[in-house]
Amino acid sequence: MSGADASQAGGAGCGRFTRDELELAAIARSDPQAPVADGLPAHLGGCPVCAAIVDRIAADNALLAEFAHAAPMPVPSRVADDAGPIAGYKLGEEIHRGAQGAVYRAEQLATRRTCAVKMLLRGRFAGDRERIRFEREVEVVARMRHPSIVTLYESGVSREGEPWFAMELVAGDRIDGFVRANALAPRQVAELMKHVAEGVAYAHRRGVIHRDLKPGNIIVDAEGVPRVLDFGLARSDDEGAAEQPGSGTTLVGEFLGTFAYAAPEQLSGDPTAVDSRCDLYALGVVFYECMVGRRPFEGARSIAELVTQKTMSAPERPGALNRAVDRDLDVIVLRLLSADPARRYDTADALVEDLTRYLDGRPILARDDSLAYVVRKTLRRHWLASSAGAALLLTIVVSGVALAIAYARAERERVRSERTLSSFRDAVGSVNPESAAGSAQLTVEQFLELIEQNAASELSDEPAVLAGVLDTIGIVHLGFEDTARAEKSLRAALDSRRVLFARGECGKAELADSLHNMGRLLFLEGKPAEAEVDYREALALRNDAFGSDDPRTMLTWRHLAACIRRQKRLEEARAMFDEILVRAMEIPGYPPTELAAIINSRAFIAADESRYEDALHGFREALAVIQRELPADDYRIGRSHFNIATVEEKLGRRLESTHHAQEALTILRKRKGGDAATVQKVEALLGRLQGGGEGQR
Amino acid sequence: MDLERTTTALLNGLFDPRNAAAWEAFDRRYRPILVGFVRNCGVKPTEAAEIAQETIVRFVEEYREGKYDRSRGRLGAWLVTIARYRVLDMRRKAGTAKIERGESAMIDLDDDKSVGAAYEAERRHALLREALEELRTKSRTDPKTVKAFEMLVYHSLTPQVVAEQLGMSTHDVYLAKSRVAAKLREIVVRLEQEYEETPGDWEASGARPSDGLRA
Repeated sequence: MSGADASQAGGAGCGRFTRDELELAAIARSDPQAPVADGLPAHLGGCPVCAAIVDRIAADNALLAEFAHAAPMPVPSRVADDAGPIAGYKLGEEIHRGAQGAVYRAEQLATRRTCAVKMLLRGRFAGDRERIRFEREVEVVARMRHPSIVTLYESGVSREGEPWFAMELVAGDRIDGFVRANALAPRQVAELMKHVAEGVAYAHRRGVIHRDLKPGNIIVDAEGVPRVLDFGLARSDDEGAAEQPGSGTTLVGEFLGTFAYAAPEQLSGDPTAVDSRCDLYALGVVFYECMVGRRPFEGARSIAELVTQKTMSAPERPGALNRAVDRDLDVIVLRLLSADPARRYDTADALVEDLTRYLDGRPILARDDSLAYVVRKTLRRHWLASSAGAALLLTIVVSGVALAIAYARAERERVRSERTLSSFRDAVGSVNPESAAGSAQLTVEQFLELIEQNAASELSDEPAVLAGVLDTIGIVHLGFEDTARAEKSLRAALDSRRVLFARGECGKAELADSLHNMGRLLFLEGKPAEAEVDYREALALRNDAFGSDDPRTMLTWRHLAACIRRQKRLEEARAMFDEILVRAMEIPGYPPTELAAIINSRAFIAADESRYEDALHGFREALAVIQRELPADDYRIGRSHFNIATVEEKLGRRLESTHHAQEALTILRKRKGGDAATVQKVEALLGRLQGGGEGQR
Repeated sequence: MDLERTTTALLNGLFDPRNAAAWEAFDRRYRPILVGFVRNCGVKPTEAAEIAQETIVRFVEEYREGKYDRSRGRLGAWLVTIARYRVLDMRRKAGTAKIERGESAMIDLDDDKSVGAAYEAERRHALLREALEELRTKSRTDPKTVKAFEMLVYHSLTPQVVAEQLGMSTHDVYLAKSRVAAKLREIVVRLEQEYEETPGDWEASGARPSDGLRA
């Protein structure tokens, strides 16, 4: 050490300025923003003692800055130097003992703060692999600072040669216990999981995969914030940089995680197949368990059986086990639990995004590949030009079918889904333009009909699955406003489900789906009285199955009110819409697009009553909401423009009306095809506005 | 200076295939430098580790065959030339798509200056890490002094907070910083001597290694 420093032990420099002031003067050499004491620069010119000290401090700072940059975070291995087994800490009771280490409550003597100290079990007898793993844990955790991740204080080697590290002591409950004890609703669980996912996303962005996420590793602290613990199995993406080949801590075929939370690719024992998406799978299991009280695959008697379950079958959707779990959460959780990592979210950030959307009541993105959405988005025209198109549609329809068969019981599901898939495979094979039966100009309608025929013969002994398939196909037909074909499929599905329901082989939820879809069809066919009957029955069933606040129940209620309005019972309809609106606004996170639909419906009544200014106000409000929420070319935006155009026409404002009608036409033509009834209505309006046949097809 | 640890001593040891200690010490010193260098060429971690390993193996082979003569060029330049061929070869095989993007300071492998500076930065980083490890494990520096330094430099805490947490005066915290800096400077000077790689004079004249690809 320098003699100058020793001589300065009592004061700083010549004594005119404090050490603090001299330090700041040194900092000011590289940082002009640093405050410098008055008169100090001038003093340094005439005082060689102070000038030498400032020079020295500046040189020290430059060197230390180089260290801070070059050697990221201390992973010290200091030997103990006082009485306890660990220098500077007083160990207390043992808090936890796991596969690799024991955790003690401890006091850091220098700061008097309470913390947790983790030590490697079996001490110096632990093998190199345990030691490398432990050291890695330190490295990994030390790099991270996030509210959802425990903070590491320091690490070292005990008197006995045992590696240890001191971290924040988190007092709280395991996440599953916390959810149970507080009887949290699925929405509240989603909030907790969002915090956990944020921590995991933070780690992933730093190349750190946890690989052992489970309820025991997620502690909810006193503030209600979940904290991720125990990076004992973590594998950093850049570990290759520090590791001798062959000393990898994960040997091929070895698997140390907890089986129930492990992703299928982890169970395969192939370390190269494992990436950050295994954490997403584990989060899916934890999420599922917290919402329904059991894990998605229970009852496996062996690891082999568990592997088979995880890779060959889809878990029962959480909503089937807990009615309070709504469809969006079903979609999010099932997506996390996909056996194929490519079907999960790409990143933990994407999961955070979807949970945020869900909690804000916005549409989730995982939904985007739902059947009808993709069909409409992808196929601008009603025909399949190539077999590539056919393959695409197969994917789309099969994912819809997968939802339908998720209702089936788990043990028979794999067989069923295989049979369903094979019937689709046959159907697609038969539309290959290169085969004898194929045709390059096959329409979607014809294609769906082919699938329907195939399914009817292949699944004749699985009526519940067949009904789900028919219902799905019917909805697609309805999406294209092909009411004749839709009626055939939906009627068959409904009839079948009624029979099955009477025999106890079909749930209320499924029968209600069929009734609701049938109601929608009848409404579109201009039979509101008949539709009302089906909607009323569907409403009662959905109320029972999902509760009155569920978006599905609310949707049926809104449709019912629309049937009443269409029958000119305006007073009754207005009262019902008002009731729906009040209820919807009380439901936290109610989707804004649904609120917009209710506002829209009330505006229709105003229009029916010739209160056009009121109607216009409502339609505009609804449009503003959905424009914020939906893609610019969503068909609902097109409908909304059309509504405004209609009222503007009534008010005699041709210019405004034409503008909105043209907006509507662009969107609806794109989304519905040129032949759709809605499009023809818009064209008729434009024709009237332009005073002639122009715009008529 | 520990004469057993100089690069010259390690290189001499490498002549004897049974001298595992020399091999390990050489590997421990140069592998992290090469991994860091190759990573900065936009190569993924696992591939970087592989290239570093291949480079060291190839170097030792050539060294034993007498192809590398220290008097005619820097060791680092020789190593980097082997590694550079490996990286270019990997890029050629994989196509540019596999190169990680977004590296702000990607090395331009066609520019000797850029290559030299990158190697030098990695070497210096490795040396500083070694110095830090020595400070923590081997020097007799008071643990509390080391702790104060870590809190200041790595946790970016103010001297006032460090003083409060460690029960010292602010003045003592400044002195601790100064002591650690002096100790580290001493270690760094010694290690630089052991590495025997004076910066500068990068474009060494003389023999160049083979392309490392073995026809």
